[in-house]
Amino acid sequence: MREQIKEIQDLMEKADYVTDRAIATSVHLAMSLRKPLLIEGHAGVGKTEIAKVMARVLNTSLIRLQCYEGLDANQTLYEWNYPKQLLHIKLEESTSHTLEHKEAAIFSEPFLIRRPLLQALTPNGAAPVLLIDEVDRGDEELEAFLLEVLSDFQVTIPELGTIKAKEPPYVILTSNRIRELSDALRRRCLYLWVDFPGYDKEVRIVTRKVPGINQRLASEITRFMETLRTVRLAKVPGVAETLDWAQALVSLHADHLDAALVAETLGCVLKDPDDIKRVRRQLESDGMKRFLAVEA
Amino acid sequence: MSTAASAPPRDLAAAMLSFGQLLRANGLAVTVSELMDAVRALELVDLFDRDDVYLSLKSVLTARQEEAGAFDRCFDQFWTFRSGEGQGLDGLAGPSTSAPRGDEHGEPPGGGESRASLSLEGWEAEAEDEGDPLEVPGTSAQEVLVDQDFSTFPAEQLDEVARLTVLIAKRLARRLSRRRRPVRRGGTVDLRRSIRANLMKGEIIELRRRSRRRKKVRLVLLCDVSGSMDLYSRFLLQFLYALQNVFGRVETFTFATRLTRVTEALKGASYKMALKRLADVRDFSGGTRIGECLRDFNREWGHLLDRQSIVILLSDGWDTGEPDDLAAEMLALKRRAGRVIWLNPLLGNPSYEPLTRGMAAALPLVDRFAAAHNLSSLRDLARHLTLR
Repeated sequence: MREQIKEIQDLMEKADYVTDRAIATSVHLAMSLRKPLLIEGHAGVGKTEIAKVMARVLNTSLIRLQCYEGLDANQTLYEWNYPKQLLHIKLEESTSHTLEHKEAAIFSEPFLIRRPLLQALTPNGAAPVLLIDEVDRGDEELEAFLLEVLSDFQVTIPELGTIKAKEPPYVILTSNRIRELSDALRRRCLYLWVDFPGYDKEVRIVTRKVPGINQRLASEITRFMETLRTVRLAKVPGVAETLDWAQALVSLHADHLDAALVAETLGCVLKDPDDIKRVRRQLESDGMKRFLAVEA
Repeated sequence: MSTAASAPPRDLAAAMLSFGQLLRANGLAVTVSELMDAVRALELVDLFDRDDVYLSLKSVLTARQEEAGAFDRCFDQFWTFRSGEGQGLDGLAGPSTSAPRGDEHGEPPGGGESRASLSLEGWEAEAEDEGDPLEVPGTSAQEVLVDQDFSTFPAEQLDEVARLTVLIAKRLARRLSRRRRPVRRGGTVDLRRSIRANLMKGEIIELRRRSRRRKKVRLVLLCDVSGSMDLYSRFLLQFLYALQNVFGRVETFTFATRLTRVTEALKGASYKMALKRLADVRDFSGGTRIGECLRDFNREWGHLLDRQSIVILLSDGWDTGEPDDLAAEMLALKRRAGRVIWLNPLLGNPSYEPLTRGMAAALPLVDRFAAAHNLSSLRDLARHLTLR
């Protein structure tokens, strides 16, 4: 294994992120090739976390752009401070400045509000990590716009001219696959699929992130979650749910799982009423054995 | 960390090109710039470590999880091909790029296929000819065709009916796209333009507005190709593909006993081939497992759906599985999609009642239940392909 990859893996572990080689390799390439990294995977497998850890590893700032339906290019890039502009116009009302002068005044830097993309292109210090979170929630128009910005790292503000990044930011995009992303965007990025962690990895995550948990509880929780993910559910629980649950159980001073405890705390793990009903029913009929059995 | 673009060894670049060819032959739309990145990536990892090479190439050259399987096969093939020559990548010579066997995306084996049932060759080109204005096709002979059940046409007439289908669809397409042009007042206030327009006035007097563009509807087709449904599926497909410019995207799946995605196969030139494949997945042996196929769809392709999608399911509802399963999957479908339409050609028969257990279970979860047995019912369908 290349030294740098090992190093990244160690750094990530040190930053409390339990990782594996695939993740470390992709992060290494994203940092060296300076290409955007598209991370996909089920909800709650720690996609966003990768960007946070990457910023910590690089010792730089993290700029986050949360996508949602209806988010448009202006909101991601820059906006003019309208209230301030209006006030300024009002104040200037009685002056005899020319239209050109007034216009130049209100469309200048002090009236500019930098949104995440512009912030990422014009950082104060070193190149930041730009996290474009849940890009699949944004509209297709936004995606096309992002593609444009990500390919030359420059934007044009009609009133101010073209702004180009001195050093391109490190870009991480995450997607939950709510909507299929365009091929153009996909092929522009490095790609990483983050699956649910295997048993060993998840136990490591739990013991690492939940202080004071005992080994038995950690392994039982993980085993239970593993089985749970094989059941047909509307919302398959991720690692985030595992951690919530472990945390809850620890604060209840539990040291192992039993049916009653599971039934009481299932809400930490399952977020859909039908799912909860279904699993409760299975617990009643099959008992805990089925959920804690080691799969062949 | 060096990003120096030092010239890579020529054989490495050449090897990457042939690896790229192999990937393309297996359905991965790898771009040249990705291949160049791949070469650069190899300089950043340990060439003598198989996992390093594997993980980095995968990161660069794949673009979605669905490509992982094909990538892995190609990688293994490429690697094994030269495993006799030592461990490193340096000696990579041009490996075979032979098309994979029986892969979904592979080139079809050549050979003349008979125009056995229905020829859709050149269906796109023909559709361009918009000669006569068709409200209903012109001649009285054609008028008869419009109301005739597809299954009752003699084989030699199917070509003509197919042509007619496309003509009607094209005409509808024009009307549909006209209808969706936004003419609304209102929308949101465009502050940026308002301020500009009112610069000299000192305050905002006249508001500039902008309307939000309406998103194009996406279609997801799930076509039953078992037994007699096959013919209806073809006409539906042909009809909707002629309409496809109206939609943001059309995804197509066929099912009988198992679900197959045929979107890629239906693209462009291989359309004829695709229809042949549709015939290949036909399955006369044991009924249809609609519930199971829907489950596979929901699990693997659910991400294609959103509130802007219309799901069209064409089937006679003869499900051999449990009605409860079918109902559960229909519910999952309905939750994600904007609209669910079930087409059942048997509805064309006035005496038909949807009494099969599967059909009865699914019916309450369907937004629209209609026939698709003749041209006029397809035309009616077009009216319901909007979300509001």
